[in-house]
Amino acid sequence: MKELILTLKEDIIVPVEMDAVIPEKIENMTLDEIKNIELPQGNKKVLLKDLFDVELNEDADVSRIIIKNSTIKLKRIGEKMTTGEIIVEGDAGMYVGCEMKGGKIIVNGNADSWAGQNMKGGELIIKGNAKDYVGSAYRGDWRGMSGGKIIVEGNVGNEIGEYMRGGVIHVKGNAGLMAGIHQEGGIIIIEGDVDARVGGEMKKGAIVVYGKVEELLPSFKFEGVVEDPVIKLSKKDEGTPIKGKFYKFSGDYVYNKPKGQLYISVESNPDLI
Amino acid sequence: MEYIIKNGIVYDPLNGINGEKMDICVKDGKIVEDVSSGAKVIDARGKVVMPGGIDSHTHVAGPKVNIGRMFRPEDSKKEIYAKKGLRTGTGFSVPSTYKTGYQYSEMGYTTVIEAAMPPLIARHVHEEFMETPQVDKAAMPLFGNNWFVFEYLKEGDLKKCAAYVAWLLRAARGFAIKIVNPGGTEAWGWGKNVHSIDDPVPYFDITPREIVRGLAEVNEMLGLPHSIHVHPNNLGHPGNWETTLATMDCVKGIKAKPRYGERETVYYNTHTQFHSYGGTSWKDFESKGVEIAEYVNKHDHLVIDVGQVTLDETTTMTADGPMEYDLHMTNGLKWANCDVELETGSGVVPFIYSPKGPVYAVQWAIGLDLFLNTDTDKVLLTTDHPNAGPFTRYPRVIAWLMSKKYRDEWLYNKVHKWAIQRSHVADNDKEYDLYEIAKVTRANQAKVLGLSKEKGHLGVGADADIAIYDINPEEKDGKKIEKAFRYASYVLKKGEVVVKDGEVVKEIYGDTIYVDVRVDESLEQEIMKDLREKFTRYYSINLDNYPVQDAYANSWKVIKIDATDIN
Repeated sequence: MKELILTLKEDIIVPVEMDAVIPEKIENMTLDEIKNIELPQGNKKVLLKDLFDVELNEDADVSRIIIKNSTIKLKRIGEKMTTGEIIVEGDAGMYVGCEMKGGKIIVNGNADSWAGQNMKGGELIIKGNAKDYVGSAYRGDWRGMSGGKIIVEGNVGNEIGEYMRGGVIHVKGNAGLMAGIHQEGGIIIIEGDVDARVGGEMKKGAIVVYGKVEELLPSFKFEGVVEDPVIKLSKKDEGTPIKGKFYKFSGDYVYNKPKGQLYISVESNPDLI
Repeated sequence: MEYIIKNGIVYDPLNGINGEKMDICVKDGKIVEDVSSGAKVIDARGKVVMPGGIDSHTHVAGPKVNIGRMFRPEDSKKEIYAKKGLRTGTGFSVPSTYKTGYQYSEMGYTTVIEAAMPPLIARHVHEEFMETPQVDKAAMPLFGNNWFVFEYLKEGDLKKCAAYVAWLLRAARGFAIKIVNPGGTEAWGWGKNVHSIDDPVPYFDITPREIVRGLAEVNEMLGLPHSIHVHPNNLGHPGNWETTLATMDCVKGIKAKPRYGERETVYYNTHTQFHSYGGTSWKDFESKGVEIAEYVNKHDHLVIDVGQVTLDETTTMTADGPMEYDLHMTNGLKWANCDVELETGSGVVPFIYSPKGPVYAVQWAIGLDLFLNTDTDKVLLTTDHPNAGPFTRYPRVIAWLMSKKYRDEWLYNKVHKWAIQRSHVADNDKEYDLYEIAKVTRANQAKVLGLSKEKGHLGVGADADIAIYDINPEEKDGKKIEKAFRYASYVLKKGEVVVKDGEVVKEIYGDTIYVDVRVDESLEQEIMKDLREKFTRYYSINLDNYPVQDAYANSWKVIKIDATDIN
């Protein structure tokens, strides 16, 4: 299998779209063909070799692309990928892992907004922070992320998991406003603090907050305190165990009979109730 | 520029030409007897030649279309029209203006009629028309919920109502009288609706029957080229077929007296599929398409267009405000809603007609029931774009009609079994031939719109709007039929080649057609008094700022009518 190493030659000003460079496409290409992949840059097209130093290793253990020197100007990294690995050394621009179905992306830096938008499967790991709309739906759509796993080790911005239907978003840092807005399935786990309106208009799925909740929506109903709960999203679901003592809420009661579950740590929020 | 289209197999129902091999000559934008030896030759050997397509009912311009575009960015993403030498565009069910023009053109369409123009916002409609290339266009202002119309009809003053209609058509640069859910949209202003055609409209105390019949009479007094264009009450509700029949029946006895064109009918029932629902709820919902078709076949005063459901994800938009609210409550998707002062209202909701949904499958079958059972002189092909499906699906609808095999492939493999159980499509063996296709997409349209002098046929003197399709007249392969009608070999608009091999090669700006009716001056003075009073008291806009100015078209085509004798 092939390992492609791209090293950005110099900083770019106008963003470049990288969706043509994904592992399954690289597998069937020669070094020369790879060098001549056309990438949209603003309203122009540039060749891969003009921006990157290209190195191809023919016998890797897994089909892999490594982008060195990456910046926030490289957009759509790993869009629609189904297999293999992409490792980003540096930051990733908007739409990293957008609509991905399988494989793995590791960003050893920060990510811009829309990471993992409409993701269907696979794994997206961001070692730094991510901006807004992690695992969201496309603008205007009501059918968001349906599977896969996003792990952000730093903080995330606003409206993560918008219209999420399945999969997992795990944030190790803090989250901004309206995490899990319109959520309809899947689990969002936030280890840090969250800003206001967590779970706004959620219908199904679960949100777990270990840190402090800035402000809780009044349309959630308190269901009691639970210890080491197992989150079940459907009858068939085996359940996801979580550790700790939580206030359990159901909501959002702006809808009739919502099935959303919200777990908020008792320890970090002693005065919530 | 001169052209001679050689050896094509011509289908021209208005002139009774059914598959004859002949040459068509074109000069200066018109069809002529013959051309000089210097004419460019288009070789149409083995190809089918038809007049340019006409869409008598579509929603392609104006505020509600634009709301659809704005609030559905996800629809824009669904289809991106890449640059092929001309302009780009986006949108699957609500394409941008250029994409709309180009795609109609690719299919061989040359004239489209926007079916709902809120008069107050007519400028917006015309602004979008100016940016819609390749086709001639016209817009029908909405009259079925207009306060002036209500009051004049209630007083029984048909003359004043006629003068008002004439004034509004000129002011908004409109083409015909459109009636949507008569009285219902006004009732929606009070959070209500009207259900039967004898339910009074709140406050005005006038019934849909009086509105439809009154406007039909007004239409014939003025002698407008098109008849009244009606979307009856109760759209989309099980059991509504009875309302539809009652509405169709209420104008019986009125005689067609067009002062322009050759129309013989006084009533046009649009997107009839949505109005042919049996049963009492979605559980016992069934097709009444055959029953409606029987009525249409037996009576000479009306035609219908179908509004065929194409089983796509689309955007519904209509001036039927309460109906869109019902739809939003049914599917739970986003909803936009609007009230247009004294005139009308509207709503927009995305919709997914999933082939596996039992109700959607029946809706699809109802459209086909109508097509397969109605006399082909009295039925028109539309999808009520984008309500039942985008206009880019017309070729697929044609394929369903022409090939029983293709239709059955959908019926037995793709759609829910309710389509077989609750309609008559499975038992029907009818297959349209190309002559009938030319009728339902061209000839019938031209005639009912009153444009058959210059459009919808290939006789000498007609506009040189011509479509050439690469298809064998005996073809029964649905996919091939669909492809041939989706991408025409050649399309001529105003005598210029605008499409070649399915690609737009030339951008041309069509005319905007409107009707200018002159009524007696003293009658006009009388209604101006009423107008001034209403505008001062209720409108947010000054009367003098209301009429659309000359600048709002690339070129106007005015149909002048003298109706000074109605005083």
